[in-house]
Amino acid sequence: MSSVLRLGLLLASLMVFILILYTVIRKMLNIKYSIVWILWSLLSLLMAVFPESFYKISHLLSIQMPVNTVFLIMTALLYALTFNVYITISKHNKEIVRLTYEISVLRKELDDLKRQNER
Amino acid sequence: MMKTLIVIPAYNEQDNIVKLVEDVMSYGYDYLVINDCSRDSTKDLLISNDIVHLDLPINLGIAGVTQVGFKYAKDSDYDCVICIDGDGQHLPEYIKDLVGEIEKGNDYVIGSRFVSEKKPVTPRMLGSRLLCLLIRLKTGKKVTDPTSGMRALGKKVVEDFAESMNFYAEPDALCHLLHKGFEVKEVQVTMKEREAGVSYFHNPLKSLYYMLAVSLSIIFVQ
Repeated sequence: MSSVLRLGLLLASLMVFILILYTVIRKMLNIKYSIVWILWSLLSLLMAVFPESFYKISHLLSIQMPVNTVFLIMTALLYALTFNVYITISKHNKEIVRLTYEISVLRKELDDLKRQNER
Repeated sequence: MMKTLIVIPAYNEQDNIVKLVEDVMSYGYDYLVINDCSRDSTKDLLISNDIVHLDLPINLGIAGVTQVGFKYAKDSDYDCVICIDGDGQHLPEYIKDLVGEIEKGNDYVIGSRFVSEKKPVTPRMLGSRLLCLLIRLKTGKKVTDPTSGMRALGKKVVEDFAESMNFYAEPDALCHLLHKGFEVKEVQVTMKEREAGVSYFHNPLKSLYYMLAVSLSIIFVQ
């Protein structure tokens, strides 16, 4: 990897790390979901500081250009993260239907009671 | 006599809903209109006409709305649920035929346009044929109108759907039930052509996506 790329990765991961900590502290990000992001940014920071590990992994996987190893790892992690988000969305979908049902039934019961009182 | 509930999802149906409900009431069944956060005057009409209804605080879309109906039916201990579209294309006169088949012990009864009638050869019906073929390949069972939204559900199916409905639309729901060994039956009905508005399937891209999603769901998931 070129030194410019290394420096770029280092700066970018540092900025991401600070941004994530900032959003967590400002409570813009739920702590439940922030853990994975803190780990993620720490990891990318580590990777930027110790790029030698990429050379080893690249050699192990017979990948000629270490930068491709970076892309591979990043893509795989993003896949996992996105998939996790979809699972969470699906769970929330189910919960929303449940809550919507409960609210609409409560509304109906309240309406019925009000009408009884009026009579 | 089975305790039967007619579930009528309604989204922006101010022109149809009152007449449809009067029609359904004339047959003497319990009914429940579910207003899916309509933006027109559907809600006011439901209130001013004393129509039994649930008023959803957010727009859930057709799958969510029907599931709300099933949850309600389960909690109110109904034996049978009939789904009828709020746009009036499903005619209430056929409800008794559907209920009759549930009473005979079937778990899921579809109001099909093509039990005794021939299926016309149009692009849309080509899609219907393809879905029939897929369901037949997967479950070995023959169906004629998998996309029909006019359905009757017995108690077991209502309880199943009230808990979880992991379907894209009617055809893969049907496939799921056939695969799980529920008794499914089709009865002949006539549907009314839509009077106003544009069909979801008017858009070829949406139709294509629908076919893709339902097919994938039938092949891999259900």
